[in-house]
Amino acid sequence: MKIAALIKHVPVSNDVSVDPDTHALIRANSEGMINPADLNAIEAALILKEQTGGQVTVFTMGPPDAEKSLRNAIAMGCDDSCLITDRCFAGGDTIATAKVLAAGIKHYGEFDLILGGALSSDGATGQVGAMVSEYLQIPHISEIHQVDYEEEAVDKLKAIKKYQGNQFCLQTSLPALLTVCFGANIPRLATLRTKRAAKSKPLAVYTNEDLKFPPHETGLAGSPTEVIDSFEPESKKKAKFISGTPEEAAREIKALIQKEEGRD
Amino acid sequence: MASGICLFAEHYNNILDPSVAELSSAAHEIKEITGEKIQVILLAAESQPLIEQLKRLGIDEVYVYNTEKDSLFQDDANSQVIAEMLKSITPSGVLIPATVIGRSLFSRVAAKLECGLTADCTELKVGKREDGSYVIRQNKPSYGENVFVTIVTKEGRYPQMMTIRPGVYKPIAIEDNSDVKVIHMDDISFPPSRIGVTAVKPAAVRADSILSAETVVVGGRGVEDEESLKLLKAFAKEIGAAIGGTRPLADVGLIAFEHQIGQTGFTIRPRICISIGVSGAIQHTEGIKDTKLCIAINTDETSPVFNIADYGYVGDAREFIEGYLSL
Repeated sequence: MKIAALIKHVPVSNDVSVDPDTHALIRANSEGMINPADLNAIEAALILKEQTGGQVTVFTMGPPDAEKSLRNAIAMGCDDSCLITDRCFAGGDTIATAKVLAAGIKHYGEFDLILGGALSSDGATGQVGAMVSEYLQIPHISEIHQVDYEEEAVDKLKAIKKYQGNQFCLQTSLPALLTVCFGANIPRLATLRTKRAAKSKPLAVYTNEDLKFPPHETGLAGSPTEVIDSFEPESKKKAKFISGTPEEAAREIKALIQKEEGRD
Repeated sequence: MASGICLFAEHYNNILDPSVAELSSAAHEIKEITGEKIQVILLAAESQPLIEQLKRLGIDEVYVYNTEKDSLFQDDANSQVIAEMLKSITPSGVLIPATVIGRSLFSRVAAKLECGLTADCTELKVGKREDGSYVIRQNKPSYGENVFVTIVTKEGRYPQMMTIRPGVYKPIAIEDNSDVKVIHMDDISFPPSRIGVTAVKPAAVRADSILSAETVVVGGRGVEDEESLKLLKAFAKEIGAAIGGTRPLADVGLIAFEHQIGQTGFTIRPRICISIGVSGAIQHTEGIKDTKLCIAINTDETSPVFNIADYGYVGDAREFIEGYLSL
């Protein structure tokens, strides 16, 4: 089975503040890493690869610096990687990002299964995966907790999704796209040896010379939405205090927990 | 011209999701300024009971599409129908619950309409453009909750589509307007879906692994003695949570390293975190990210843990747990 894993190179720390004059974001740390849920997507891809004797190609769209995350994915066991990078892709919203990612995947070749993390740790929209599947005209199941492959079945993929306190077993045929929740599995670790080997692996780099989008269709220009302001929350998260006896507090806290558990 | 604020009526088992009443509140705030109608999109196998529930939410129009069977999660097909409906309704704004359903379905709709989709808004404000047209300013958190950004859908792009975080807007106070206009849109054909639901069962509570647990109880120095730890474990069992601890507990061997949270331990992303007797030094707060509900119990009201928690209770850990277990 040919599998594509979509990853995002995210900041190591969410410690970000806003310049009060320019409203530009100031990052305490510019280091990047693989988005945590994407590690679960990679792990799911590697398990399926071992089961079916396939190949995993890892994709990311981002600055040239994102190569580091691709190399780390290779060190975990992915076979090839593709960096989609161009200044004209920068600043895109989820639509502009998904469009370019889908074009990059198509340009690379055909895949039976595409896996990605359910949510990113920075933007946390959870939208890009499903949008990519729409651009590729394949079905998707998002935010899954488990995936299984059955060679003999017509609908070869089975996935588990949680909703309203229930566990739904869903199935679909290939090709398809799935997004995997953080914590769905325990991602394997790269070793020193695999990390060293990953450094010399070839890496495909696609720019807009390869994907050939008209300039107004990508990045900031190709985004239907735009960020017009950024600001810090009025009070950085500060607890609302609960008063009363321990029993009264316990009752109130129990209600808060139950309310949150009821959400999806 | 695009007009109307359209809500997506998420439902399950013939019951509207509570978030739909919250969307109606947000829509009313917009309507007060723009005077637009409040519309609803409903896709259901059995629409009548849902229409009755919608009539209590102060809306003007319901656009209904009856599916032959329940089409939950068949978003390849559902998105096609909704895109067709929106093309014909032409609302200026679409408000969607930021839930597993809303995110999945409307990501596809947005790609079909190329209209954009702002995720997880916590506040909507109405602004006016130079040409007199209204614009919805969509505020949403980013980078955890450290920064908020204001997003707008570009001029001339409609509908302005966004998901709204559940629990932010108050559900609309019940308003009886039984003269809601119901419009059936059954001439759209339901495309084949490649997604099927094969089984539904109650979700198992997974409290075995701290990494995947949805609810986590974290103990700190305040529960260092064995008696307190026993209570902590009973409390975690009661609420179906995994147990984590900060370094002091791991150092003295009260919890295993696999359960250590913080800079030198694991970073966890539970939905609910109850922190008990944790002072909240950075080593620990770095370990809990993106928690939807964080509650801290500590004897010291100046403890830094209260800067990262949503709710705090100043009191003794043992008394609190005993109180909880006696409920």
